[in-house]
Amino acid sequence: MSGATGGRSAVWLVARREITERIREKSFLASTGITVLIVVLVAVVPSLLGLGGTTTFTVAVADPAAAPVARAAVRAAPTFDAKVKIERVAPARADAALRDGDVDAVLTRRGIRAEDDPDDKLVDTLQAANRQVQTAAALQRAGLSPEQQRAALSPPPLRVSTLEATDPDRDAKSGFAFVAVLVLFGQILTYGIWVATGVVEEKSSRVVEVLLATVKPGQLLAGKVIGLGVLGFCQILLVAGIGILAASAAGALEVDGDVIAAAALALAWFVLGYAFYASAYACAGACVPRQEELQSATTPLNTLILISYFVAFAVLQNPDGTLAKVTSFIPITAPVTMPPRIALGAASPLEIVAALVVTTAGAALLVPLAARIYRGAVLRTGSAVKLRDAWRAAGA
Amino acid sequence: MLELTDLSRRYGDVVALDGMTFTVEAGQMFGFVGPNGAGKTTTMRIVLGVLAPDHGTVRWQGRPVDLATRARFGYMPEERGLYPKMRVRDQLTYFARLHGVAAGEAQAAADRWIDRLGLTERAHDRVEQLSLGNQQRVQLAVALVHDPELLVLDEPFSGLDPVGVDVLSEVLLDYARTGVPVVFSSHQLELVERLCDAVAIVNDGRLVASGRVEDLRDRGSDANQVRVAVQGADGDGWLGSVQGAEVLDRGPAGVLVSLPDGADPDAVLDAARAAGQVTHFSRERPTLSQLFRRVVLG
Repeated sequence: MSGATGGRSAVWLVARREITERIREKSFLASTGITVLIVVLVAVVPSLLGLGGTTTFTVAVADPAAAPVARAAVRAAPTFDAKVKIERVAPARADAALRDGDVDAVLTRRGIRAEDDPDDKLVDTLQAANRQVQTAAALQRAGLSPEQQRAALSPPPLRVSTLEATDPDRDAKSGFAFVAVLVLFGQILTYGIWVATGVVEEKSSRVVEVLLATVKPGQLLAGKVIGLGVLGFCQILLVAGIGILAASAAGALEVDGDVIAAAALALAWFVLGYAFYASAYACAGACVPRQEELQSATTPLNTLILISYFVAFAVLQNPDGTLAKVTSFIPITAPVTMPPRIALGAASPLEIVAALVVTTAGAALLVPLAARIYRGAVLRTGSAVKLRDAWRAAGA
Repeated sequence: MLELTDLSRRYGDVVALDGMTFTVEAGQMFGFVGPNGAGKTTTMRIVLGVLAPDHGTVRWQGRPVDLATRARFGYMPEERGLYPKMRVRDQLTYFARLHGVAAGEAQAAADRWIDRLGLTERAHDRVEQLSLGNQQRVQLAVALVHDPELLVLDEPFSGLDPVGVDVLSEVLLDYARTGVPVVFSSHQLELVERLCDAVAIVNDGRLVASGRVEDLRDRGSDANQVRVAVQGADGDGWLGSVQGAEVLDRGPAGVLVSLPDGADPDAVLDAARAAGQVTHFSRERPTLSQLFRRVVLG
């Protein structure tokens, strides 16, 4: 009834166990939920607070004489990053509508009426509209033809020119880059540590000996790293998907090909960064006998990721600087420092390809080395194993 | 049939195994005995492929053992190991699957062993929530859940209470009766003598003796000892007439007499007859414990 599991199916079984056991943990579900919530808040709250983006105001016209001003306000609103909707309200109901919050302001013959201090944007819009209507009336009284009126009312606008090229989506892009740095840093660190903890759990519980009687060390390592990696990938996909949808729904981000491409590249960088660090974390785990000793064994790796994280903040400020350029070609830092450059549009396609190639090569070199150290150390349960000893033991 | 041929293994400068060779037949209960550090665990780890030998081969049914073959072995390591946070049924199913059992069958096998070992109420508990005794049962189930062709158990009886010992003995004997060889190591030599058809005695990484227990005891009896009980004799003064005879032990079954090599036990019988009525006279075979002490302690 039993027989050999093929190499691939053993890896798959190990990977599936990692995923299902982790998903069944309440803490995992809770932390995923919290992350999604934070990303949604970050995407939505600025718009809710009226920071950036367009605000919509509802204005009631309580007197027919005010109607031209209201119509002018609708036209003028975009200049103030606002949108104005007109609602007709019987003069007697005007105050009630304000108090109920149905309307933001009421235009009367004499002026603007609001519940309390009205929004500056709204006031500016309405004042500009009023200015325009009054000016038009004055010009008409002065006998100007409609063409002359129009020319006087809408002179050619001042043109804005800058020393450096500007990107109208700059704010949205740097927000995206910032979130990408945060998520990549958190995800690579968290999942790397999970790999190390998982390896130590198998060592300290001695279950590794039962496992190695049916699976090769390489299969066990591959299954664990792939399983957790798939989980981490899906988690990022979920968070990124919901975050982008929320930001787009809130009007903070316009979802276009560039955004999708930047998100896809960030996911690719997670895969590379995770492959690189997870195999190193597995070695750290394999070399210590107990969870208590894991902290010190993983400190060097944690530090490297933390350094990448701090460098990434410098990159966000100056994505074209030397530091940004150099660190995007070092496999240790690139997974966290390159994605913000891509998101900000500071990396040329050639640079992106070169960085991907360098980091892939780094991971491809590290993985077999890590597998060998893991193989040499994973069964030595008594005390901490030196890397060099693990290396030699696996060579025998 | 499991054949170990000339297995050697060093850890740095320490020689753990040196030319270990023995054979386990189909359906045999095979005891593996020796003092701590004799190389028992190393040998078992090599059989299971957890450790590679520096030299030597392990064959199963005439063929060198590879990963595919080992998937059909069942193993309980000395240092017990289970995933502490994994639930009992999931854990058993997982290990069955790792040994190549199809998904549906694996769950059925897990349920069978949960039932047989009295773990039904604990099937959905995490292993770390179980008592040590129940954890031990899960460990045994992990070794058996894929219906192995060979069972290798490192100190399976250690830490068990007498009831646990009986339950485990029963399970293992049942297994051996179906033709599956059961190899286990133990320090409880009386238990090994009671359960095992054959043994290997090891010391310092070398095989000291191996074979059927009865054969070893027969061969071990060349020490030339007889036990004799005489009714009506006054003490063992009558032995004085037998040259070189020495009393080793006085028990309810009679006196144990050691004779010089080559001396004829008939001389003792003759003297006994002369002293009274002989109610017992037998060649004394050493117990496994005695053999063990003799070969290991020299």
